[in-house]
Amino acid sequence: MTETKRPSWWPWLLFVWMVVVIWAAFYYAPSARGFKGESARIVFFHVPQAWVAVLAFCVNLVFSIRYLRRRDALDDARAAAAARLGLVFAVLATVTGSLFARVMWNHFWNWDPREVSIAILLLIYFAYFALREAVADEERRGALSASYAVLAFVTMPFLIFVVPRIYWSLHPDTIINTRGSIDMESRMLHVLIGSLVGFTGLFFWLYALDVRLARLRQKHQQRGEV
Amino acid sequence: MLFLPAMTGGVRVAFDQIGKRFGNRTVLARVSGVLEPGRVVVVAGPNGSGKSTLLNILAGVLRPSRGTVSYRSGDGELPRGRWFERLGVAAPDMAVYEELSALENLGFFARVRGLRAGAGEHAALLEELGLGPREHRRPVGTFSSGMKQRVKLALAVLHDPAVLLLDEPSSNLDEAGHRVVAALVERFRARAAVAVASNDPREIAWGDARIELAL
Amino acid sequence: MRASSLLSEALAVLGKEWTSELRSRVALNAIGLFALTTLIAVAYQIGPYRISEADRPFLLAALLWIILFFAASSGLARVFVKEEDAHTAKTLRLAARPAAVFAGKLLFNLILLLCLEALIVPLYCALMGFAVRSVAGLALVLAFGAVALASTATIVAAIIARASGSGTLFAILTVPLALPLLVFLIQGTRAAAQADAIAAVFPALRAIVSLAGVTLVASVYLFPVVWHD
Repeated sequence: MTETKRPSWWPWLLFVWMVVVIWAAFYYAPSARGFKGESARIVFFHVPQAWVAVLAFCVNLVFSIRYLRRRDALDDARAAAAARLGLVFAVLATVTGSLFARVMWNHFWNWDPREVSIAILLLIYFAYFALREAVADEERRGALSASYAVLAFVTMPFLIFVVPRIYWSLHPDTIINTRGSIDMESRMLHVLIGSLVGFTGLFFWLYALDVRLARLRQKHQQRGEV
Repeated sequence: MLFLPAMTGGVRVAFDQIGKRFGNRTVLARVSGVLEPGRVVVVAGPNGSGKSTLLNILAGVLRPSRGTVSYRSGDGELPRGRWFERLGVAAPDMAVYEELSALENLGFFARVRGLRAGAGEHAALLEELGLGPREHRRPVGTFSSGMKQRVKLALAVLHDPAVLLLDEPSSNLDEAGHRVVAALVERFRARAAVAVASNDPREIAWGDARIELAL
Repeated sequence: MRASSLLSEALAVLGKEWTSELRSRVALNAIGLFALTTLIAVAYQIGPYRISEADRPFLLAALLWIILFFAASSGLARVFVKEEDAHTAKTLRLAARPAAVFAGKLLFNLILLLCLEALIVPLYCALMGFAVRSVAGLALVLAFGAVALASTATIVAAIIARASGSGTLFAILTVPLALPLLVFLIQGTRAAAQADAIAAVFPALRAIVSLAGVTLVASVYLFPVVWHD
């Protein structure tokens, strides 16, 4: 991935976009029916956060595999950058989801399949960084954490697709999946999509910054040796 | 001669512009050379100059930050994953299984290398390296460091390697032990590509060629 | 001049592991004691009478696997950590094919797990009054569950042995990977407890076998990367 010279107005565009999204979430989108008060509005933030957490996981996987094949330190830096952001967004998604659950159903945690998936994603991220912390040598750190990322990735489909089917039958109480079962009015859909785009842009901007820092660090290090 | 018949021809190890960096510390810079049957290469230098690191890189256990290492035999270039088949290494950071006896260690490593040699041949090898028959069946954990070193050397030559890397081979050994190692090096000088890393002037004297490492 | 097959080399590694283990008995003691202690503590407090009939299959299945999983975690990492600690890892690395090393150690962990299950499960059923209607179904879940758990544990053990080697790190890395597996194991055990037909465990068994397969395939590719620098 070559460094594209992004114009300097890009972060400002992102800023304006997010401001508009936040405003729209509260004023443009109508109140959702069937929800306690205005609590549904958190969905405009919660869903994109969860989406970015998963996207980050995929980016991490791609660069982990690339690192295993080419052993380029920059690929490891990219994988770690994606994972760092993924962790942040996974935490945000868990917290916002939890708050919503408290308001709607009076419990912070309901063992909804999606809740479990995001919690396990969180555990995977924690494990990933715990592993990185435990290895001093850079190359070994990259190889081991990339291996773990691949291992985690192959287990995930079972979590996301198979376990929910099992859980559904164990727990007869229907838990409304907020995203699926509500007809989204077109205005709400606009805001949701706008928010998705905004959060994705936010992820890539932060990710690019992190990678640029790693690249500079690498150049500095290389210059340091004869 | 109690070693198994030599494998297909000799192996030539060529290393070029080897550099190794650990974090911000550069341990090796631009080291080049060749290991081939017929001459012993000695890697000398003060403590911390990277002798063991170089040997680890040549063994394929460590990747260099820069430079290349190639193993070439009569059949062509050997991929890194197969170097170990033709390689014998004895180093201070390599131990043997202490719960097992000397014979059990040799037996295990022979089996895992796909060798068919039996206990009799292993016993003969151990004796040649100075371990009497009474020691063969005791757990290696009860051995002195000199005796453990002899077992390590036995493991290094068990499969008649085409490349022999010895890191401070006479360490922990008495005079008799030192002579045993010298005889070993002599025996392998013509048939294998030998490298010895050492600070000991007597060991350095074995070398036909020398790579001098600096701090 | 390789006169042997991967299988014989793997069996050589397995043989060495067993010989070492029988002489030192560290892993056997750790796993066995952990399991027995937990089982006795649970059985003493809960026993066969304190759980209502309706909840029994759910709770007892879950408790069984909690005991098995954590007992296993206390000993399964040893197979690689011990090599690094004793400095024999490099010696082994320079003598054996990675596939043989992984296969041998995987088989060792599998046998360890099967022994653990053979010890604990009958005791658990007796002490907790866990009536299992399909013993064959339970046996299948236990057998394939052991394969899946051993696969995950062995590759993670290989990873952490090259890191800090601590038991905590092993637990941190294993839990997210083992959670889906545990869900299916508990579900399969519960099915075996509740239904007579062996087919009741098949849905969970399918998932367990797939998980085992997927983990094994990934491990085959990942182990050489983890094992060598």
